[in-house]
Formats: sequence, C-alpha cells, structure tokens
Amino acid sequence: MNKTLRTMLIGFFFFVGIQLSLSTDSHAFTDRELAKGTKGDDVIELQARLQYIGFFKGKIDGNFGYQTYWALREFQEKYGMPIDGIAGSKTKKKLTSVSSYDKKFVMDNINSGKEFTHYGGKPLSSQVKGGTGGTTVKKTNTQVPPKYSEDDVKLIANAVYGESRGEPYEGQVAVAAVILNRIENPDFPNTVGGVIFQPGAFTAVSDGQIWLTPNDRAKEAVIDAMNGWDPSENAIYYFNPVTATSKWIWSRPQIKKIGMHIFCN
Amino acid sequence: MKKIVFLAVFAIVSLSAYSYTTATQNKDLQNALSVQYAKNISDASSKLQELDVAVKKTLLFDEGQGDLEAREDIWRLSSDIQQSVASLPLDQQFSTMWMNYLGRLGKFSKEGDERTDATEFHKVMDRASQNIESLSDQWSIATADMASGNLSMTEWQERLDGEKATFDWKGLSASIQQYTESDFPLTASESDALKKKELKHIKDPKVTKEEALSKFKKLFPDVSNQVIDTTDSKPGAAYPFYHIRFADQDSIGYIDITQKGGHILSFLTERPAGGGTMELESVRKRVETFLKDSGYTDVVYEEVRENDTAFHFVYTRVEPMHKAKVLSDTIQIKAAKEDGRILGLNAAEYIRKEQLKDQPMIKINWGTFFHNNVKVNNQELVYVENEHGIQRLAYSLTVTLEENGEIGTYIVLVDTETKDVIRTEKQA
Repeated sequence: MNKTLRTMLIGFFFFVGIQLSLSTDSHAFTDRELAKGTKGDDVIELQARLQYIGFFKGKIDGNFGYQTYWALREFQEKYGMPIDGIAGSKTKKKLTSVSSYDKKFVMDNINSGKEFTHYGGKPLSSQVKGGTGGTTVKKTNTQVPPKYSEDDVKLIANAVYGESRGEPYEGQVAVAAVILNRIENPDFPNTVGGVIFQPGAFTAVSDGQIWLTPNDRAKEAVIDAMNGWDPSENAIYYFNPVTATSKWIWSRPQIKKIGMHIFCN
Repeated sequence: MKKIVFLAVFAIVSLSAYSYTTATQNKDLQNALSVQYAKNISDASSKLQELDVAVKKTLLFDEGQGDLEAREDIWRLSSDIQQSVASLPLDQQFSTMWMNYLGRLGKFSKEGDERTDATEFHKVMDRASQNIESLSDQWSIATADMASGNLSMTEWQERLDGEKATFDWKGLSASIQQYTESDFPLTASESDALKKKELKHIKDPKVTKEEALSKFKKLFPDVSNQVIDTTDSKPGAAYPFYHIRFADQDSIGYIDITQKGGHILSFLTERPAGGGTMELESVRKRVETFLKDSGYTDVVYEEVRENDTAFHFVYTRVEPMHKAKVLSDTIQIKAAKEDGRILGLNAAEYIRKEQLKDQPMIKINWGTFFHNNVKVNNQELVYVENEHGIQRLAYSLTVTLEENGEIGTYIVLVDTETKDVIRTEKQA
C-alpha cells in the first residue's frame, strides 16, 4: 500500500513539475511576430524549441533564415496549423506547449562561442561540441545579403574605422561602398580581403590602423553599404586632397566630396 | 659621479641593444616580405609565359577539345596572374590597367565560343599573342631586381614613386591600355551597361536646386528643416546630381537627387538609436505607405533583414507585361526598429529602369531538370541580367536539397526560352 502511495506521489509531483516548467516556458517568448529576416533572442528560443522536437537541424544563431523558415512550416503542418512560416502568438503557444527550452544552457553556449545542439531526449551536456569558452569571439548576428558574410562585415568595418573614423557617417558608408565597388570591378581583386590588402590600396593597411577595434558606427556603415547604399555614387577611388602624394589620383574623374575625402572613378 | 657615469653607460648600452634588436627585426620582416613579393613576381612571370603559350595554342584549332582546353587555360591563367598582380606593390595605374587587360582576355576566351566566330577569335588572339609577348618581356625587365632579391622594399618603393625610377611604369601602363583598346574593345552589351550606369536614358528636364530641395522637404518633412548646403556633383560624375546635406535636431545625413528629373538616388540619415522594437509588420506597413505616397507604386515586397537598430527592406519593380519582378530595379529602405521612421532610401537602381523585351516561354519539366532529391518550393517570373548583360525573362525557383541533415535553400534562375541557368544563389 505504502509502496503504491509513494509511487503515486512521485508520479504526481513529477507531473506537476513538468506542468510548472512548461507553464513558465509559455511566457518566455516576446510578443512580436517572428518572420524570415528577423533576429534576436526570441529567434534563438524559436530555433532551440524547434530543435528540441526535431524540426530544426541547423545552427542556433538567432537569425531567422530559410533553415528556420522550413522547420517552422513543417512544425505548423504537423500540428494542423495554417502554414505561413511565421511564428505568431498561436504558433508560439503551441510550440511552447510541446517543447522545452533551457535558456541558460543555450545562451551560455552562444555567448562562449561553443558549438552545441539542443535536441530533446538527449543529455544537453553531451550536445556541446567544441570551442574553448571565453576565448572564442562571440558572433554578432549581423544580417547581410547572402553574397556577404559576417567576417566580411568585420574586415570592412576595420578598414572603414581605420580609414575614416573622423568622417561623417555618409563618408564612412561611402568608404565601405568603394570597397564593395572594387570587388565588382574587374580591375581589382574579387574578394574583400583581396581588395583591402592589395598593396598600397589603403593607408590604414600600410600604417596598421586597420587593426584598431571598429565601433558600432563603422559596422553600421558597412551594413548600410552592403544593403545597397552608395553615397560615393559608384566611385572606386577616394583620397584626401591634403595628404595625397600620388599625382595619378588627381587625374581620376571626380564625383563628389564628402568630409575630407574626394571620391572618384 | 660614478653612479651617474654608470647609469649613463647603462642607458646607452640598453638603448643600443634595443635599437640593434629592433633594426634586426625590421630587417628580418623586410626580408620576409621581399621573399614573398619575389615569389609572387616569379609566379606571375612564369604564368605569363604559360599564358602566352596558351594564347598561341588557340591559334592551332578552329574547334574541338584542343581549342576548348586552350581557352580554359587562358581563363585560368589570366585569373591566376590577376591574383599575383593584386598582391604586389606595383604602380597603381599599371596594376589597374593590367588587371583590366587580363580580365578582358579571360572573359573573351571563356565566352568567345558563344559570341564570336572563329575568324574573329583568331584575329583577336593573334594580336593578343604579340602583345602578351611584348608585355612579358617588359615585365621581366621591370621586375628583374625585385625577383632576384637584390632590392629592399624601400628601394623598390622609391623606384615606383619615381624618385629613383629605372623603369617607365607610366609608359607600360599606356601600352597595356592600347592593347586593351585594340584587342578587346567594349562590346555592345558592355556599352549598354555603361550607358545604364550613366543614366543617359533619363530624358527628363533638368530641375533646379530649389525644386530638388522642395522634393526633399515634401518626402522627408521631419529632417529637412535644417539644410547645411546643396552642392552640384563634380564634373567627373557619370550623371549630374545635387548633393544635399542636412542636420535637423538629432538627425544628420544627406540626399542625392538627379539633376535630370529630380529623382532620388539615395537618402540616408544617422540619429541616436532609442530602445524598443516595433512589430515588423507595423514597420512594413509604414514603409509601404511611404513608398506609395512617394510615387513608387509599381514595386512589391522582396525581403527584409533585421539588424541592431534598423530593418533593411528590399522592394522590386514589377513590369506590366508578364507581371515579372525586375531584379535589377530595386529600392532599399532602412527603417528604425524603435519607431519605424524612414532612415534611408536607395533608389539608384530603380530609376535606371531596365529596357525589357518580350520573350517566348517554354514549359520546363522541373522533375527531369533537377536531380530527384531536389524539391521545388516556389516559382515566379523575373527579369534578370545574364552574363552578357542582357535582360532575360526567367523562372525564379526556390529549391531545397537535404545537405548533411540540414535543408539547403537555393534560388535558381532559368531562362524561359533557352532553359539556360542564369544564376544559382545559396540562401542563408
């Protein structure tokens, strides 16, 4: 009798525990709708929950891309919901009720740059794959057009900061645009690194200022340029008329002046 | 007194040791760099000779495998030499000219079979062969000292800068420019592309500065009260425009407006970012109302990317003939996450409005077109520029493929008439 009662009590507390943990989860998401193109901690939670129940097999990074989109659609289809690939309140509620999310585990691993997964039914400690913790650079979850990478953003931001940190924002976007214009131009190397480290191409490379840590402003300037803004109006060169030593650069057709720089073709 | 002498001697000895170590380190670094550059020069030289042979080989054949291999060699070698040239500290004008020549040679060789008849191809390659031979000779002379390691970086730099010039780099640049013009004059489609860039097809009348300013104030009343100045573009600009700078309360930015027709090229403002994030759908509605009110009524939503303080939206023009999206005619909008305010508008591509032609559409069986584990998820019509710079009507397919347990997504653009795959893009 005692044994039966004990088993029932354990079962009861286990059930209550599960329910409590799930009901806490239901308030975890923010209120906003999550669609392709969004990013943030709520997207991290969405990916982690979809992975917990086996729909999402990609990397949990907080960027709502195609991997997340297809996984969400599959989830919606399986649970008989309207299939639109958007995580609205109903989808999030359903997802919360059928999955679990260990926020601390996920965020700790993301912040320490470790590779990990978040599948249910498998000890989470065995799902951490690599990284040294603390020494790995944290990814910043930048969303740029598919032809560019986050490393491209970092490198161009270094160049923009080293070359033009004292310039107006427009001038910083223009410097980033010149780098991107060169990649598309057959007269220059066709990679970000190739263009930036072409000998003699940028003063910041020659004097080492490219290795200064860029600020958020320089990074945003690069993101704007990658998204299409080009205040230089298609320039492939620029120079500071006060410090320029090359006579040849003065022979280039000039387009406009922004801050201390003249932009030209 | 003894102590002072000791300290002075100690300081001198320490300083000398430090200077010696630094000088040795600098010399080591310079040597390492010189070796690296010498290697790249040597690579470029030997590949230039290989290129010369490959060009000559194409003169042997009219068609067939031999011709194909030689063309592939030219394309590969010109690309390799471009990489070596790009990594060398050379005269900037020379470097630019040479990269241009090599790029054109490679492209001509790769695409020659589709665009040029055999006689014309032979004529061009014959000229190119002579020019490359001459170029190869001059390159060997110019780089002899550097390639043999007899020159320090400083001495090399001085030669480039003209202070102790022993070689006429400017003359060599002029020769290459001549070769480019004679061997690979601009093709019709490239000329078209340049015309497009110059916005020459805009026939609208010129607007005054006041009219441009008035347009700015109408579209962006929140930030246009304090204009710093309005200047004309410089004479070298491919298309004339007004450059308006403003600083209104906490917003600082610019707007460029074409002088022909007063079209907005781009607008961008910077302001301190506040907290909070508006619902994406609400921001999108604000953006679309702005577009409609601003007269951009023929565009449809394409995609959005969220970043730290702003959403970046992309809209694409839809042509009336097939209701196809014109991928080259896009508008980008940057909207603040906190309140949905328009922080940027880029319509430089949109106002160029591509010239489109109707085109037959054949039915394609995607089941046999793709491998059997590829799934076609979506299909729509688009106009897209092919490798010859011509706008083609194409099927735009969103396809997925399982890749090591993950789902890979690709956009594949297929010509509706020729079934050629114009572009395949991996999606994030």
